[in-house]
Amino acid sequence: MDPVFAVAAGLAVGAGLMVVTRRDPVRGVPWMLLCFVALAAVYLRIGASFLAAVHVLVYTGAILVLFVFILMLLSGRPGEGGAEGPDRWPVASAALCLGLFVLLAVSLARIAPSSRLPDPPAGFGAVEPVGRSLFGRHLLPFELVSILILAALFGSVLLARKKP
Amino acid sequence: MIANYLVLSAALFCVGAFGVLARRHLVVVLMSLEVMLNGVNVALLAFARLHGDSGGQVFVLMVMAVAAAEAAVGLAILVAVFRNRGSADARELRDLHG
Repeated sequence: MDPVFAVAAGLAVGAGLMVVTRRDPVRGVPWMLLCFVALAAVYLRIGASFLAAVHVLVYTGAILVLFVFILMLLSGRPGEGGAEGPDRWPVASAALCLGLFVLLAVSLARIAPSSRLPDPPAGFGAVEPVGRSLFGRHLLPFELVSILILAALFGSVLLARKKP
Repeated sequence: MIANYLVLSAALFCVGAFGVLARRHLVVVLMSLEVMLNGVNVALLAFARLHGDSGGQVFVLMVMAVAAAEAAVGLAILVAVFRNRGSADARELRDLHG
């Protein structure tokens, strides 16, 4: 196995586990950052360099910062945003997810060709082929995403607005 | 090997699913959801590479846009819930629970 991939994948899964098990969500944020950066390394190993850059920009630059802002707003209040009761059925959930993972891993390893990945076509992860695909064959989904983002924009402003 | 990437994808998805199922803090549930979506992205990219097709990369961009929209709306709902209830605990939200 590719050593860079092995380290990045182990870091991503380990950091993901730390994110979902921290009692205080604020402590989960640095682990989430580590998880996303490790995943960017995995994307680079796949050869998708443009998407690795977009991944870091969107996930750490936008989504993670949004989480930090919300946590800052919550913990500034009485009652503390970090207060949380015990987990719901932790053992049953863990067993269910472990079972799902074993099922997925076994079936994926069986259906997927176990040979090495073929060499990517020239410029596989570059901006140009992705852009040509995005604005050519996948123009309709792209336009629909713009409507989705508009709806999310209005929706989040409407939901978070203080009632007069 | 493609199977390595797919197993990584399955592992991330299941780790996130555990967080969504077991945790009660709404912020942690949303963070776990992001981890699940990242798992799916890894699988899409691995298959894009396997077929040498840029279409899979376009769909990763779509998933990122949906993840950003979902985080924004989810956190807005959370702010509204916290303002009304003073708590971000999923257990508190059982008004529709007969």
